[in-house]
Amino acid sequence: MAATRGIDRGRVGADAVDQAFSDDQAAFVGVQKKAGMDFFSDGLLKWQDIFRPLMGALGIKPHTLIRWFDTNTFFREPELMGKVPTVKNPEGVVAAASVPRPRVTTLPSPYMFSRAAHADQDRNRLMVELAQRVLRPAIDAAVAGGAELIHLEDPWLGYFGIKQEDWAPLAEALQTLHHNLKATLAFHVYFGDAGPHIAQLLRLPVDAIGVDLIETDVAELGSGWEKGLVAGIINGRSSILESLDNTVEVARHLADTVRPRNLYLTSNCELGYLPTVVAEQKVLRLGEAAHKAKELVSV
Amino acid sequence: MTAELDHKPLLTHEVGSLDKPGWRVKAYAGKPLDDKDLEEARSWGERLTVPDYEKLLDLLRHAPFSKEQKTEIQRWSSLYALRLEESAGLDVVYDGEQQRTEMYDWAVNHTNGFERRGSVRAFDNKYYSKAAVIGPISLREPFHNAEFSYLVSVADAELKVPVTGAYTIADWSFDERYDVDTDLREPAVDRRRARHAARRDFVLEVSRNLIRPNLQALIGVGARWIQVDEPGASTEADELDLFVDSFNASVEGLDATFSTHLCFSDYNLFFPAIERMSQCRQYAVGFANYDSRELGTSDEKRPGYQVIKKFRDLSFKPALGLGVLDIHSDFIESPELVRDRVLYAVKVFGDPKRIHVTPDCGLRTRSWTVAYEKLKNMTAGVELARKELGV
Repeated sequence: MAATRGIDRGRVGADAVDQAFSDDQAAFVGVQKKAGMDFFSDGLLKWQDIFRPLMGALGIKPHTLIRWFDTNTFFREPELMGKVPTVKNPEGVVAAASVPRPRVTTLPSPYMFSRAAHADQDRNRLMVELAQRVLRPAIDAAVAGGAELIHLEDPWLGYFGIKQEDWAPLAEALQTLHHNLKATLAFHVYFGDAGPHIAQLLRLPVDAIGVDLIETDVAELGSGWEKGLVAGIINGRSSILESLDNTVEVARHLADTVRPRNLYLTSNCELGYLPTVVAEQKVLRLGEAAHKAKELVSV
Repeated sequence: MTAELDHKPLLTHEVGSLDKPGWRVKAYAGKPLDDKDLEEARSWGERLTVPDYEKLLDLLRHAPFSKEQKTEIQRWSSLYALRLEESAGLDVVYDGEQQRTEMYDWAVNHTNGFERRGSVRAFDNKYYSKAAVIGPISLREPFHNAEFSYLVSVADAELKVPVTGAYTIADWSFDERYDVDTDLREPAVDRRRARHAARRDFVLEVSRNLIRPNLQALIGVGARWIQVDEPGASTEADELDLFVDSFNASVEGLDATFSTHLCFSDYNLFFPAIERMSQCRQYAVGFANYDSRELGTSDEKRPGYQVIKKFRDLSFKPALGLGVLDIHSDFIESPELVRDRVLYAVKVFGDPKRIHVTPDCGLRTRSWTVAYEKLKNMTAGVELARKELGV
């Protein structure tokens, strides 16, 4: 933080910023190792918002600042006028070599990307184009760089919902991403209640569906899932540390009632809304809960 | 009761923050100053004709600084910022919040019931510190009186005091007091209901026990125009009524002129809720960020200003603080662009006395060089508009 502020004001050089990022990433990787995470993230520490590395790869400059849903965080609106060009070098989404494997790579879902952009074309056509020309090349680069789990985040669907006629183009866009993919593809709805959408979500061509359990009733998830469940059980917007016992109980409840093909425990949203020290405590608590839940399930 | 604003047409003012000079930041943090810092203090002192600025240079050469000297350096920084705004030609000024750490942090650090938690990203590489409410909220001590009393003693222009509002303070804080139930096995609808009720209690407690007593103290030392800053006001689309209730609870019955500042939002969301906010005599709103840079006064040329019609139609006829400078860009708006934005607003409102001219928000993310050029062009553009309107 101090380094980026310093470079903005011409008080430090790029080397100092690189070193600071490297140190922060090493610290975050250390926390994930200590927590016993099954997938490792680079924490997207260099990403100024979820679209920025992709816009950089497209050679498009950041545009107007827009509030990120109901948070005090802002993103630069992706300016996508006319035909979307194909991304050539999406290295910005590939984690540094120092991040252990297996890795998880987080990207914007095509639905959210197409709705958040400043664009002049039909949103569903844009969604499919973004999947083909931007997200698939980025995913391929991430997989080549060691990603085994691709996590598409979609707060748009959670917060604003989706029209009935948008489901088919969304499925088409996701199929573009899922086809012959040598990684697990997860579509994570957050910042809203996924309950009303569960039936449609389970029909999407992805391997796992993510839900925000701070906003979604566990009872609405149904049972006997043919897909994995990415369960957002740690609140990424609250500084209160979750109780270990309660988190384990919820995880067990999900395993017993929803019975997904795979159960992934995670935060309900990204942890960027929390100060680093609080986020680290939450990662450790998540790891602790997952460890205990696995023990109980295997008994 | 809130007093009416009675100013000349197209009154100009700042909105809040300015960047803090390197010499002020380093001196306060106990870091060594270098020649560049001294030159910055010298050149701006000379440029803004700050009286006796050589005394500051002398002081800065004698580190380390005692607590009293650090306070003195902060006051120099206030004086420089004040002179910058006066020199740019603004009618109403303040000090760019030079004596505060930051708009949120400063408030909660003078309040009982909060505890710091750390910093989080707001946008790009900009971060803000967050605290959590952990206990009963009360004002520890009035936290703008000292700066205001100092500024009264040195300002040539009229002052307007920016004060962070209750809704924003609550919205930017973690809640570890009112809503602590995290049992995800409970029905989500019950958890949501409890969360909304807790939020209302939190926001209104900030209004009554923190903002209002601080405003009363400010009025007691002579403040006449107080701007309640609410950049967080539209964060939760379903809480606009709560924002209005918090404003009313903060200012009701107090004898001063109250205005509010809103920014970086879909301003349509504020309607109809703010129709109940009649004690607000001016809305200072950021628009330039959403506007085109083309000249012209047609609807097509001014896309960022379409929502101002709704402010015009408020029954209690508040003034509109028209944001004409994009504070997130080094682009220097030309006087002609400012003129056209102002003329468009006057065309919509029909009354130039209801239009005040301002930056979109505080200019703290811009260098002083950029901020100064922007503000000078703003006042030059207003002069062009006045000439064209014959006012």
